[in-house]
Amino acid sequence: MDSKKYESEINSAKTLAELGELEIKYLGRNGEINKLLSEIKNIPNEEKREYGQKVNLLKTSMYRYIEAKKKELQNQKSEVFFDKTLPGKAYPKGSLHIVSFAIEEITKVFEKIGFIRVSYPEVDWEYGAFESLNMPANHPARDDVETSFIDVPAHPKLGKMVLTPHTSNGQNREMKRVDKPPIRMINISKCYRPNWDTTHTPMFHQFEGLCVDRDINIVNLKGTLDYFAEKYFGVGTKTRLRPHHFQFTEPSFEVDISCNVCGGTSKINGNKCKVCKSGWLELGGTGMVHPNVLKEGGINPEKYSGWAFGFGIERVIMMKYGLDDIRNYYSGDIRFMEQF
Amino acid sequence: MNIKITYNWLLDYLDTDATPDELRRYLSLCGPSIESVGKVGNDYVFDIEITSNRIDTASVIGVAQEAQAILPMFGKKAKLKLNPLANSKLDQIKTGSGFNLKVDIKNPNLVSRFTSLIFDQIKIGDSPKFIQDRLKLAGVKVINNVVDISNYLMITLGQPIHMFDYDKIADHHMIVRESKKGEKLVTLDEKEIVLPGGDIVIEDGSGKLIDLCGIMGGLNSAISSKTKRVLLFVQTYNKSKIRKTTMTTGQRTIAATFFEKGLDPERVEPTLVYGVELLEKYAQGKVGSKLYDIYPKKPGKKSLVMSYGLFSKKIGVEIPRKKINEILTNLGFGVSDASKQGLTLVEGQTLQITVPSWRTSDINIPEDIIEEVARVYGYQNIPSVLQPIVFVDQPKEMEDIFVFQNRIKIFLKHLGLNEVINYSMVSKSMIVDGGLKVEDHLRLSNSISEDIEYLRISLLPSLTKNMRENKGRREVLKIFEIAKVYIKDGPSISTDNLKINKVRPSLPDEIYKVGIATNTDYFDLKGIIEALYKELNIEDESRHSREGGNPDIIDKNGIFMVELDFKSLINNSALIPTYKPIHPYAVIKLDKTFELSPHTTYAVVRQKAFLSKLLQKIEVITLYQNKLTLRFYYSSPDRNITEEEAKEELALV
Repeated sequence: MDSKKYESEINSAKTLAELGELEIKYLGRNGEINKLLSEIKNIPNEEKREYGQKVNLLKTSMYRYIEAKKKELQNQKSEVFFDKTLPGKAYPKGSLHIVSFAIEEITKVFEKIGFIRVSYPEVDWEYGAFESLNMPANHPARDDVETSFIDVPAHPKLGKMVLTPHTSNGQNREMKRVDKPPIRMINISKCYRPNWDTTHTPMFHQFEGLCVDRDINIVNLKGTLDYFAEKYFGVGTKTRLRPHHFQFTEPSFEVDISCNVCGGTSKINGNKCKVCKSGWLELGGTGMVHPNVLKEGGINPEKYSGWAFGFGIERVIMMKYGLDDIRNYYSGDIRFMEQF
Repeated sequence: MNIKITYNWLLDYLDTDATPDELRRYLSLCGPSIESVGKVGNDYVFDIEITSNRIDTASVIGVAQEAQAILPMFGKKAKLKLNPLANSKLDQIKTGSGFNLKVDIKNPNLVSRFTSLIFDQIKIGDSPKFIQDRLKLAGVKVINNVVDISNYLMITLGQPIHMFDYDKIADHHMIVRESKKGEKLVTLDEKEIVLPGGDIVIEDGSGKLIDLCGIMGGLNSAISSKTKRVLLFVQTYNKSKIRKTTMTTGQRTIAATFFEKGLDPERVEPTLVYGVELLEKYAQGKVGSKLYDIYPKKPGKKSLVMSYGLFSKKIGVEIPRKKINEILTNLGFGVSDASKQGLTLVEGQTLQITVPSWRTSDINIPEDIIEEVARVYGYQNIPSVLQPIVFVDQPKEMEDIFVFQNRIKIFLKHLGLNEVINYSMVSKSMIVDGGLKVEDHLRLSNSISEDIEYLRISLLPSLTKNMRENKGRREVLKIFEIAKVYIKDGPSISTDNLKINKVRPSLPDEIYKVGIATNTDYFDLKGIIEALYKELNIEDESRHSREGGNPDIIDKNGIFMVELDFKSLINNSALIPTYKPIHPYAVIKLDKTFELSPHTTYAVVRQKAFLSKLLQKIEVITLYQNKLTLRFYYSSPDRNITEEEAKEELALV
């Protein structure tokens, strides 16, 4: 075998792939070397030993030659500048809606203290949205809760069909579902009111807490609100109750939380905090469940008591993350959505 | 509603050392919410939110009464120095004679109290500076002394009043009655009101209407610069009547916002007493008539009996009895030991509380009294402790909804899709554009925009809108939404425990859907769907059966969309895929190329190939024009199969 031939062939290989092919051609299972070895049977016995040694030498020499060339080609390759600062391969990211994100956060906070998330209708009768909540027909308080009505005949007993203006319709349904306290409910749902401007969208989300058991009192409501404020808004967040009026609770309160932007001081570097009013931000309405609401849910108010609250998801997002233009939430604008 | 009063006005009635800002802080914590306090000249304006149950506080005297109870809790002095609510009585008015009014009340349910007085020798002019200044700060237009006095009385005492020009009332005769449908009246603001019927009105001796009661007086009997005699008119009305009229006529006057909440007929007395004083002093009026006071049903004293123990039970902390008594007394309640009243008591009930006349409509049950004590005691002084944690079982059906929604959302997000949330309502044009029938949709009867008039029955019209509106913003758009659709006259709603679904009309079925849209291509979307099925471990069989979806991908001018039924996804999913034991036997891989045609599709090949018990899976290797090369994997879990066996299986395809 002519050593010049394989030397020049190997030498002229320009890529590792080409070299690989030559390696197979010479050293592979059906390669030149194996062919030579298989011919040993035709060699006279006395020459066999010498023949074998020669082929082996040839094999070693070829192997070395190929390895040397391999190194050379590899070195050539590494001479191209390797820029480690380039970005990695791009993987898709996608996004969750900020409201989905908040719903998960809130659900988890309440799960830890034994509250179960429930699912109730968004389209309900006036009974569920009002009467069962101690808001009889023509009650002026119903004005504070503007309502979207559905154009179908009214139900003879349950009234007109409405889009739920709050998540409180879940209260009566949950009381009837469990039949007997304890109740530890968190109801998160879409709500609707005929309002569409810079600070209102006709659809929004609320989360409703309801706790009914023996001996539930204002101390427990405060405990729960403080727990939620610290877990959701951060350690050190304080709450404050102010008297208010809602038909479905007695006593009724509005809850404020301390402003995290100015630390509840209402001042930033001597200037007035732009986010809050005198150190506090209004979270929403709460109170002790009105005895009539318990009765309507089939629960004896002499034996049991409870608290309830209903807060806006968009509102807590605004308070926590400062996303203030609520109209973007439901515009479907990719430039807004993809950020979360 | 909000009202504005001033600090100096308040100090006419309240003796206190609290500053305006202290008043704001302490009252907001324990009583009416003072939203702002602003200094104007040498006075301060409070802007106060009044909740609908506490119309009695919508006045200077109402706020003073609250301050008397609240400020001492913060170590501030507060005492009513004038207390017209308790001390002003009608017998303090010196009546006169010479002028008369004939009154006919057709229905005693319309007016709970009717009072009036006639004043002679009225001199119309400007009201004094302090009245003008205070009215301006309260946001009320200054007109003349008589009109200004009526507004000043309303803000001071919370009782709207009306002043008629006595000489414009024909025959000096007033007939209080319900309106007939279609009757007309021009009110003081020169608007012609067509009455819906059943409204409280006053007709004079000539048969013309002169007052839309509780809302606004008639222009035909208004005070003018020439007015000589004034009829001071102080009434309390049936609140539901007023409310109905103000809502149906759209005349939302300040007076109406008071009357519709139900006013205390007792407050008429201090209003008349003060009214006489002001008209005599600032309009030179002389009382020229007897006092007309028609008060058919004077309410009796309302009282409640309860135990001190209930306070600590409902509040969760012990409040000393002395403190409870002090708070209630300062708010105007009467407190006494029930056992000394000769009442039949349930064990533990030792407290009898008499309710002041102005609180009779909002104080009904012991919880109402508890609220009074707790708020004035101060919610900030009540400790904060979580209730005991108990186990409540979450229904599996509800749990699944949330768990799967979250799984699917996070998976699609990681595939690179963006989640969108759209309004549940859509427009008629979106429905038509989506090829759906308008009549299948529930319609809102009071929609504020035609963009959101119908409840959607599919997510696709909304997604189409999103894709179009985002066109050009990103080269590749892949979005999804998981939301309910609302199907009319649905059969039964499983979570509906009101058991009313058998009755028509019924609530709609609220069904969750998963909508996906892309602007890439058919197989990109199909790949997303298949990846989702794999993520949820939905078996091939159900994946390809109708129930598992076999979704119809829609190509709408380059927008590829699909809508999957969320419940089917849950029902067909598995926590982990069906386990297949690993075996040591050989897998034979065979490639075969097919020429695709309407009769030889991948689905046909696949279906035939899987008739073989030995086939494990099929992979698409290449597709070149209509030549499809597939790789078939054959093996058996029990033994080594031969290449020949595999080839025989493949030959069947």
